[in-house]
Amino acid sequence: MMTRDIVVAGERLTLHAQRAAYWVARRTLLVSDVHFGKGAVFRRAGIAVPSGDTDDDLARLDALIAEFSPERLVVLGDLVHGAATERSAWVERVRAWRRSHAGVDVSLIAGNHDRHFDVRSLGIEVVPDRVDVAPFVLSHHPHPQAAGYTLAGHVHPGVVVRDGWRKHRLPAFVFDRDVGMLPAFGTLTGLYEVAAAPGREIIAVTPAGLVMVGEHRR
Amino acid sequence: MAWFAAQERRPAAFQRAAWRAWAEGRNGLIHAPTGTGKTLAAAGGPLIDAALRPQMGLQLIWITPLRSLATDTAQHLTAAVEAMGLPWRVLRRTGDSGSAERAKLRRGACELLVTTPESLALLLSYPDARERFAHLRGIVVDEWHELIGNKRGTLLQLGLARLHRWLPGLRTWGLSATLGNLDEALHALAGDGVLIGGSSRKKTHIDTALPEGGERFPWAGHLGLSQLPRVLDAVLAAKTSLVFANTRSQAELWHEALASVWPRPPETLALHHGSIDPKLRLATEEGLRLGTLRCVVATSSLDLGVDFSSVEQVLQVGSPKSIARLLQRAGRSGHQPGMPSRILCVPTHLLELAEIAAARRALAEDHLEPRRPMRGCLDVLAQHLLTMALGGGFTADDAYEEITSSLAYAQLPRERFDAVLAYLRTGGTALASYPEYQKLVETDGRFHVDSGRIARMHRLSIGTITSDGSLQVRYMKGARLGTVEESFLSRLRPGDRFLFAGRNLELVRIRDMTAYVRAAPNRRGGVPRWMGGKLPLSGELSDELRRTLAEGAPHSAEMRTLGPLLAIQRGRSAVPAVDETLCERTRTREGDYLFVFPFAGRLAHEGLAAVLAYRLARIHPGDYGYAVNDYGLTITAAHMPSLDAGSMRQLLHPAHLRTDILASVNLTELARRQFREIARVAGLVFNGYPAAGKTLRQLQVSSGLLFDVLRRHDPTHPLLWQAEREVLDQQLDYTRLRACLLRVARSRLLWREPKRLSPLAFPLWVERLRGGIATDDWKSRVERMRATLEADADA
Repeated sequence: MMTRDIVVAGERLTLHAQRAAYWVARRTLLVSDVHFGKGAVFRRAGIAVPSGDTDDDLARLDALIAEFSPERLVVLGDLVHGAATERSAWVERVRAWRRSHAGVDVSLIAGNHDRHFDVRSLGIEVVPDRVDVAPFVLSHHPHPQAAGYTLAGHVHPGVVVRDGWRKHRLPAFVFDRDVGMLPAFGTLTGLYEVAAAPGREIIAVTPAGLVMVGEHRR
Repeated sequence: MAWFAAQERRPAAFQRAAWRAWAEGRNGLIHAPTGTGKTLAAAGGPLIDAALRPQMGLQLIWITPLRSLATDTAQHLTAAVEAMGLPWRVLRRTGDSGSAERAKLRRGACELLVTTPESLALLLSYPDARERFAHLRGIVVDEWHELIGNKRGTLLQLGLARLHRWLPGLRTWGLSATLGNLDEALHALAGDGVLIGGSSRKKTHIDTALPEGGERFPWAGHLGLSQLPRVLDAVLAAKTSLVFANTRSQAELWHEALASVWPRPPETLALHHGSIDPKLRLATEEGLRLGTLRCVVATSSLDLGVDFSSVEQVLQVGSPKSIARLLQRAGRSGHQPGMPSRILCVPTHLLELAEIAAARRALAEDHLEPRRPMRGCLDVLAQHLLTMALGGGFTADDAYEEITSSLAYAQLPRERFDAVLAYLRTGGTALASYPEYQKLVETDGRFHVDSGRIARMHRLSIGTITSDGSLQVRYMKGARLGTVEESFLSRLRPGDRFLFAGRNLELVRIRDMTAYVRAAPNRRGGVPRWMGGKLPLSGELSDELRRTLAEGAPHSAEMRTLGPLLAIQRGRSAVPAVDETLCERTRTREGDYLFVFPFAGRLAHEGLAAVLAYRLARIHPGDYGYAVNDYGLTITAAHMPSLDAGSMRQLLHPAHLRTDILASVNLTELARRQFREIARVAGLVFNGYPAAGKTLRQLQVSSGLLFDVLRRHDPTHPLLWQAEREVLDQQLDYTRLRACLLRVARSRLLWREPKRLSPLAFPLWVERLRGGIATDDWKSRVERMRATLEADADA
């Protein structure tokens, strides 16, 4: 079961184990915290990270677009990890990828990392802070908003799931009363463990599908 | 010698032998107990030589494993130099040296340099290294036994190979405590040098704090606080005592317990362990030197270091786990000549009595543990090659020849060397297309570094001691208390309390890798646990323990006290003889338990438990969890297949051990943890500039993440290979595991099915499960998690 439908603020969202969410009614694919070029930032600092992270992430986006045929793709911030030049290899790949999906409207809600690089040069529209698409507010930072239910990124939420004598540390979708958080999409991203809380819904992402962790007890 | 004339002492025979060997231009290793004049034995040769043939410039390097020892050693050597009337300048260069000392050294303004292996490596990384060492006559490595078994020793061997290449006549000498493999220790440091033994060993008395008749004493446990009244009595009866604990958490808790009943001024009781801030530790050491402290609770952080003549008595809480450590700790007391060393062992549970009795027997027969030098560590090699590239550059053939001249790399295949070189040039195959990220540059066959930034980052990263994942702990007002692992602090919220550095603290906030705390009136919270706490029972002590238990004869007070427990063991199950292996199976309400007692130490048992669980799952698919201790292991399952002596013999068979262990242990997970240190040592991750604060935040990458990416894109990367090898060799003690299974295969197998847990089984039963084998994939795991988690959520 790679996908799971849930209802948030009265709207049906299809959560996908490739760490994306699809808003069915608006034909909108949502991802967050892609961190393109993170590997390159390390390599520039003399820290050896293998290349290939960008290609992986783009291939996963291709697969999601093929699966849902969305009208638009909205990135909830941190599409890019750090400063880059036009010559950076990943910039060229992302630009080519963007051209191959000319029919999809791609936009970015600017996150804290996105100030380092102007993605408009890649053919991606940039929204500075948040965008209201009732009943949701799409934003990078997971702050509650009066205008609607916030769907956000930034946190890289994860959860530790006990399985008999084992523990698995997994990325997760987290839905609170006023705010929902997507897991980080990028391959080269870390996790921030979120704790269970009353009224908090947690859906863990495993290589074999999604698992509802629920309001698990400590 | 004038020095001895001044001291009104005559040189001992071993000192004269060492001086003669030095004069003959030989290398060597001197082993003698502390306080018998080892330092002078090694220093005498070069000092006499210098008096006969005076010369200026750096003449002698003295390597010491501890920064804190450097000051003391430098003072001691200065006294000797002055007594000889030599015009030598003595300088100390360690990680904490000030810029003035560093500048002096750069100008070459000293003849005798006292330094650490890391600082020596740093000196080798400067382009003028060769000229700086041009007049060097010799190098002395103090406390070689502390370095030989770890990567610091490997790094030092590489540094020595470098110096020998430049100065073929250089003399190398080492000082060591007694080891089980002195010949190997000599060989690793000084090739075919001479082994010089000091005067015969000081007598060591081992006493035990025995539980009194009728007193209930636990069958399991590791804290031993029920012994507090006996420990307090012993401490109050002596002028100054050292109380050794085996882990930092245990030391914190014992310090807290002693403080709560301490009848003397509170400032006369102190705590000392490796995570406490160096300044506080230094204050404690000063208190010991001056005799103002009555009792210090310590961990191995006080195993070595300067001698404290005020220490009258040493206590050891819990089993020392190794004979050599017991001897070393006992040696911290009784420094007056002719006085025997005394140590009072404080068992934390009944079975430790047998370990103490076994340790005494082993000591009487001089069975000490060897410390094996590490071989072929690729992370250290990567670091050293970068050092060589900075310190004048190298060609691949020359470097290979030089490196394989050290014992640590004597068997390094050329392909592996080339793979490390390739990693330094390109980052590995996955990065071959990124010319701008090369650390090494090759010009006309010579490798060098031409980026100032790579050079700076490398010099800041030199060394093999990692303090990865630790946060500074300091008061709001600014005073530092030490470091605690991030994994512990990240679970705390502001306002939570914990015990650290002997103080009750309340967390205020965590910012910039620092945990700010304030004093708390009491403790509600926990004690930090530091990684790598528990050491396994040594092989020599395990062997002696099996003999001691098997004989069971009341030849010591410990074994007499243990008698009733062994009688219960015999009644419910059996006490194995030396050529027997005991297996038990007991069903409890929680499930079905299989116990095996090979007495091979917890590391080997962990690997064996994984193999056994894996083999059981092949017979009968299911979910098997396991737990281990130093005596044996237990495997538990909801339903165990039917077993008997015959099937156990097959399950414990040594055939296909390597294949099975690779298939059973979650090698990837273990290697990922091991990779942390390797990535740091090899320069794959960089801990940051000392005062850079936040600017490098976006560069912080978890080594676990790197490990995953490397495994996917560059599975033949030399550092991944190193991680897997360290897991097998160190974490799972593969050599010992294999030897253990060969012994089990030759032994008689005792199969027992006690109705109630036997005394040997009980401590295993209360251990936390450490891991297990499940014959499933992610799909079935998800099914199972769904079944349990989602049922919970719906309920």
